[in-house]
Amino acid sequence: MHIPDGFLDAKTAVTTAGLAGGGLGLALRQVRRQLPRSKVPLLGLAAAFVFAAQMLNFPVAGGTSGHLVGGVLTAVLLGPSAAVIVLASVLIVQCFVFADGGVTALGANIFNMGIIGGVGGYAIYRAIRGAFSGLRGQIVAAVVAAWCSTVAAAICCAGQLALSGTVSWSVAFPAMANVHMLIGVGEGLITALVLAAVARARPELLEPSSGRNVRLSYGPVLVFGLLISFGLALFVAPFACSWPDGLDKVAQSLGFEHRAAGQPLIHSPIPEYQLPGISSAAMATSLAGMIGIVVVFVLAFVLARVLVPKQTR
Amino acid sequence: MIEVRNLSYRYPDGKEALREISFTVAQGECVGLIGPNGAGKSTLLLHLNGILPEKLDGAVSVLGQPVSSENIDSIRRMVGLLFQDPDDQLFCPTVYEDVAFGPQQLGLSESLVPAALERVGLTGFEKRSPHHLSRGEKRRVCLAGVLACEPRVLVLDEPTTDLDPRGKRELKALLRDIPATKIIASHDLELVVELCPRVILLDRGEIVADGKTVELLNDEKLMLAHGLERPHILQHRHPHGFAEAPWVK
Amino acid sequence: MRHDFLDRHSRLDSPIHRLCADTKLVVALAIVSATVVMPISFVTYFVILGVVLAGIAVVSKIPVSFLAGRLLLLEPLALGVAVLALFQPGGWYVFATIVVKSTLCLFTMILLSNTTPFAELLGVLRRLRFPALLITTLALMYRYLFLLMDEAERMQRARASRTFTKRRFALWKVLGTVIGQLFVRSTERAERIYAAMCARGWK
Repeated sequence: MHIPDGFLDAKTAVTTAGLAGGGLGLALRQVRRQLPRSKVPLLGLAAAFVFAAQMLNFPVAGGTSGHLVGGVLTAVLLGPSAAVIVLASVLIVQCFVFADGGVTALGANIFNMGIIGGVGGYAIYRAIRGAFSGLRGQIVAAVVAAWCSTVAAAICCAGQLALSGTVSWSVAFPAMANVHMLIGVGEGLITALVLAAVARARPELLEPSSGRNVRLSYGPVLVFGLLISFGLALFVAPFACSWPDGLDKVAQSLGFEHRAAGQPLIHSPIPEYQLPGISSAAMATSLAGMIGIVVVFVLAFVLARVLVPKQTR
Repeated sequence: MIEVRNLSYRYPDGKEALREISFTVAQGECVGLIGPNGAGKSTLLLHLNGILPEKLDGAVSVLGQPVSSENIDSIRRMVGLLFQDPDDQLFCPTVYEDVAFGPQQLGLSESLVPAALERVGLTGFEKRSPHHLSRGEKRRVCLAGVLACEPRVLVLDEPTTDLDPRGKRELKALLRDIPATKIIASHDLELVVELCPRVILLDRGEIVADGKTVELLNDEKLMLAHGLERPHILQHRHPHGFAEAPWVK
Repeated sequence: MRHDFLDRHSRLDSPIHRLCADTKLVVALAIVSATVVMPISFVTYFVILGVVLAGIAVVSKIPVSFLAGRLLLLEPLALGVAVLALFQPGGWYVFATIVVKSTLCLFTMILLSNTTPFAELLGVLRRLRFPALLITTLALMYRYLFLLMDEAERMQRARASRTFTKRRFALWKVLGTVIGQLFVRSTERAERIYAAMCARGWK
């Protein structure tokens, strides 16, 4: 999901840079206040770890391979603010040392993978975690959070591409979302396996957040929440209106109208025959997403069962 | 120079590491610290410049000053610690930055850096990246980093591990030339014989013996009882303690 | 050890390498920003830029095969997304635009990263008063990157040599264990590094 240079236009690049900068600044402030000094080197090592872990390929269907992004994994192990710093560092080094991911897109990449993937993922993790107990609960929550945040980040990415006029939403959204629904499964799987392995070796590293003195103070939660909301509002909402209400012609015209009203940017006349394409692709994707969440939940439960023997409470 | 009085330490998980350790090291002495794995050598060394215990309690005194949080900076300037794994200690992106780290943090002049690099024979390595260096070179950079702070006491934890024979010879020659008081923990008993006239034997967190190196290391029963053995260098030459065995040139 | 190929050329000696890191960074960022903003109709700019970059590449003495290899390695990803651009009215125009722009920007960044050691870039950030915590994290990350990759590789090989099943889930489980152990070891190393930093008086 590393966006290269030239794919985002100036306004999108600047906006995402602003959001990412704000988020990173907040994360730095949080970590400076809450992280004990003895753990500062851990941030650097964790960044190196995420990078090294990303290099390990895992076999996906039919000879292709996928790899980990690690947003939720890092957030669960180190806390959401630390995760933002870690992921931002990984992206910065990848950009400046390996030319992987563009400089102008650094803001977008940090926002998508660090803030949506890391913080957003962590929020989902906490929300689900509260409903279950024990290590199994952590794993279920982490798997679902990893999947959801991967897909969410991909959708934001699609929105950014569409907003820049690079790829139209009707193509970007299904393409990015569908591919990442699959990648998200791998991400969730690896996250679960790694957490289980860490729990076996050093269970204290997986202490519930309360043990890591993360008292959820409202300030940072609010700011992070605002940043994510802004991002979603800027990159996804304008296009969300284009989700069709139905498959017949009336719905198509309604959909078309929504799009015309909702965004001043994309003006190209859309030939009639593309509308059914838009409707069914986007609709199908949304449906897939909803089914996907259910499926992932089930998978997460099964995985947690398999990985965590009964006696581990 | 260094005085340790009734030092005891427990790991965070409750396991006892050191039990009532007491000894003194005079200025200019070179003392070897030997013992089997798990004896507590590394743990003891970490007490000598205030990294342990987490709450400093003054069981260790350097130059008459008990180690406490007020004087910790001057203690760390006086006592230089060389860790077992150079990769843990060489943490800056370039050699120069790493050697300069100590002086910068302790408020000393950076002009000490080139001198320290020259001492260890690594002039010209300033811009090199640590991951391109050989094991021996990394060790020497770490030593330079410690020497750049001009310590009065040099504490070394297993300095010759992982070195090839040439690396060992070079390091031994280097250490011999440094005038500071030295405490060397090592499994390399030959090194201990060649550099340290006095040796402290540690086992299970307690001092078992403290005395002349050649005497203690020649005591086969004592050595075997504590997981060590009589080093070959003593078996094959005159027990008066020459630095080199006769056939080595 | 083979991972150091990524850094190999940043320490060559050439007029470009000898330029101050601040200059190179500023110029690179300026080029990239300008390229992104420049309308594709202004063809002259892109042609001149291509020539200038090629010239810089020659002067920098970086092996052409290496540069070509890096470009080709990262191009497919850009092309993959670029292809999606075709599916819209005026698609070919957009496609050409982003291919040209992203290739030139990629070339610029590859030249930058191979003429400027990362440590020097960090020095620039330090001078620009970037947050100390971020710089420390970047510095430590860069330093231990290669070490961890080597460790990961070694563990992967050790595990693979003891895994005799082709069942996919077992392979994934092995991978998960390797990554998990890598994290635990990283945590322990971080503790030792902290001790080493304190031993030399870290404030």
